[in-house]
Amino acid sequence: MTDLIAQLLARRLLLVTGKGGTGKTSVAAALGRLAADTGVKTLVVELGHASVLPDLLCEGPPRATGEPRRDPLRAAPNLFTLRLIPEDALLEYLELQIRVRALARGIVGNAGFKRFLEAAPGWRELITLGKLWHLVTREDSRGAPVWPLIVIDAPATGHGLSLLSAPKVILDTVRLGPLRRNTDLVQALLTDAARTAVLIVSLLEELPVNETLELSARIRELGLALGPVIANGVEPPLDLRDAERVLGMVAKLDAAGAPSPLVDPVTLCASARYRLARARMQAGHLVRLEREFGVAPIALPWLARGVDDPTGVAALARSLEAELARSRAEVGA
Amino acid sequence: MKPAGWLDRRILVTVGTGGVGKTTVAAALGLAGARAGKSVLVMTIDPARRLADALGTGALDHVPREVPRERLREAGVAGEGTLAAMMLDTKRTFDELVERFAADPASRERIFANPIYRNLTDALGGSREYSAMEKLRQVHVEGGYDLIVLDTPPASHALDFLDAPRRLAGFLESQFLTTLLHPAAVVGRASLRLFRSGSELVLKGLERITGLEFLTAISEFLLAMEEMLGGFSERAHEVARLLRDPSCGFVLVSGPDLQQAKSAETFWLRLQAEGIALVGLVLNRVHVWPGAGEPPADDDGEVERAIAWLTRALGEAAPDLDAPASASALVAATRAQAALALRDASVRERLEKALPLPAEAVRAVPLFGEDVHELAALGRMVGMIFAERGDA
Repeated sequence: MTDLIAQLLARRLLLVTGKGGTGKTSVAAALGRLAADTGVKTLVVELGHASVLPDLLCEGPPRATGEPRRDPLRAAPNLFTLRLIPEDALLEYLELQIRVRALARGIVGNAGFKRFLEAAPGWRELITLGKLWHLVTREDSRGAPVWPLIVIDAPATGHGLSLLSAPKVILDTVRLGPLRRNTDLVQALLTDAARTAVLIVSLLEELPVNETLELSARIRELGLALGPVIANGVEPPLDLRDAERVLGMVAKLDAAGAPSPLVDPVTLCASARYRLARARMQAGHLVRLEREFGVAPIALPWLARGVDDPTGVAALARSLEAELARSRAEVGA
Repeated sequence: MKPAGWLDRRILVTVGTGGVGKTTVAAALGLAGARAGKSVLVMTIDPARRLADALGTGALDHVPREVPRERLREAGVAGEGTLAAMMLDTKRTFDELVERFAADPASRERIFANPIYRNLTDALGGSREYSAMEKLRQVHVEGGYDLIVLDTPPASHALDFLDAPRRLAGFLESQFLTTLLHPAAVVGRASLRLFRSGSELVLKGLERITGLEFLTAISEFLLAMEEMLGGFSERAHEVARLLRDPSCGFVLVSGPDLQQAKSAETFWLRLQAEGIALVGLVLNRVHVWPGAGEPPADDDGEVERAIAWLTRALGEAAPDLDAPASASALVAATRAQAALALRDASVRERLEKALPLPAEAVRAVPLFGEDVHELAALGRMVGMIFAERGDA
């Protein structure tokens, strides 16, 4: 067994998903940062119209590597980022397939087709996966992958599952033609445990853990390999011995003598009890995840300074590295 | 002041980004309605079983389940108010539409058997949003509830569900669909040539990619659905009107995190652009400062003095105690609490500036030490949302 970092970095496509609000984007960015620092040329992809990754990853002004909106930005050494917009990817795909740029633009520009696209479900998922497949399989002149590792900041549970199950819909419906051939390739990539793994990010709270359990079952059903579960935002425990006895004494202190609101007895007790309750709750959910998955999740600390910039991402990446290094989890287990 | 008029609406829609506690807030608004003597239905998309357990409804599904009277009493519902809850089921909603609008049993079975239909309602994006809106319309038209609270699908896809009805209507009314339907690709390749130039180009291009088979499957699906499209389209328009009616109010839910606040601002811009009224903001999971007055800003000198005083005080009270270690740990906890309370207050201030809401329409709910999944905790949340302001 090689260590978990090596196992993850040996994949080509890592999809980071989980309940909304669990910090998927921060974790995807930290994973990209860690991979790049380990010497793997890494592309971190965000989907849709919001653009957060350049702020999280670019230490200086981002540099274009090709056509805007189509080719990645260089964020740092070994680290690249791309915002994948379905409408742009569709045009690119049509151009590749039809090989007549004017015809492709004619289709995309057609008013009827636009309204069709606005209402038609599913194509965004398909074209997104198609573009990811294209990025994974691109090779340079020596036949080496252009993007050895691609990390996806995937959508939250519901839309994430829509994304991962879209190929199956086509495979059930279409037997022949380029769409079928392309979808076969996409599905083969997604379900290849040697190339693709899904990481679920959770918080140590009731609803995110419930959703993590349901999501992991659905992902296995779809035939995808699961990477380690990541418990994000783990709060520091209160390092207080004999907590009940000490808090009992604190409650009896004379508030009038306190030189600062920080040591007002009421405030001290409330803050300490809050922290104790949070720690107890988080520990309970940590145990629950460990019991369900047979191995402790990767626990990432809550960072007081936030994860809003490259410095925050780097700090999270260091924690991720340390936790992965000592984890007994295995990809696809 | 209390948040005026929230419960006077016929429909309340909770919106917000994922993970801010929309479902819990929706349940709390429902409970508040029941306490005010109304008959309330909460429609949720969230399959969290604990919430259903807390309400005592048993597992939630596609039909409304009443919360037992004795549970309601425990949660402070004294009068005649009732509370029911249901979970939206995309597949069932679509199936019901087909059942209702299909011309005859044969065409109904044809639709149910079509592979595109089977997958459309199940797996593909967008259908959840369509069905949430359709179900809301249906329940509203059928009546029977004074207040319907809709918990919307969580979405970084933001307000997709607002667009869903209009997009569906636009699609159904578009020339493209007519072109695809009537000369019917079902007949075969030759008939594709008959299409008018613009759409012909498009279809030819699509055919090269998807293969004739796929276009045929789509055509068959659409032909089978055609008889029902009038119904679908009319309903989509109806939902769009309903959401903009003064009897419908949107409650924005946000957490005190900067990213969440930014999402809330984006939501507000979208709502405004859509002509939809925002009745209030629930700022959920806020860290409160338990002391009197403002939380102190971090200051090294003050921290040192505080630890020194507490060390001495604890040492005097119990000589056997490791007083310095205890004092450091305790002061660390209050410092953390102060920092969080300050951060949350600044985010709240930012949102109060950004959103054109009267002060009483912004309600803060503190982050509890534990999960809010029992009815009692939900009751406490109602207290926070509807309490006199100035306490949170």
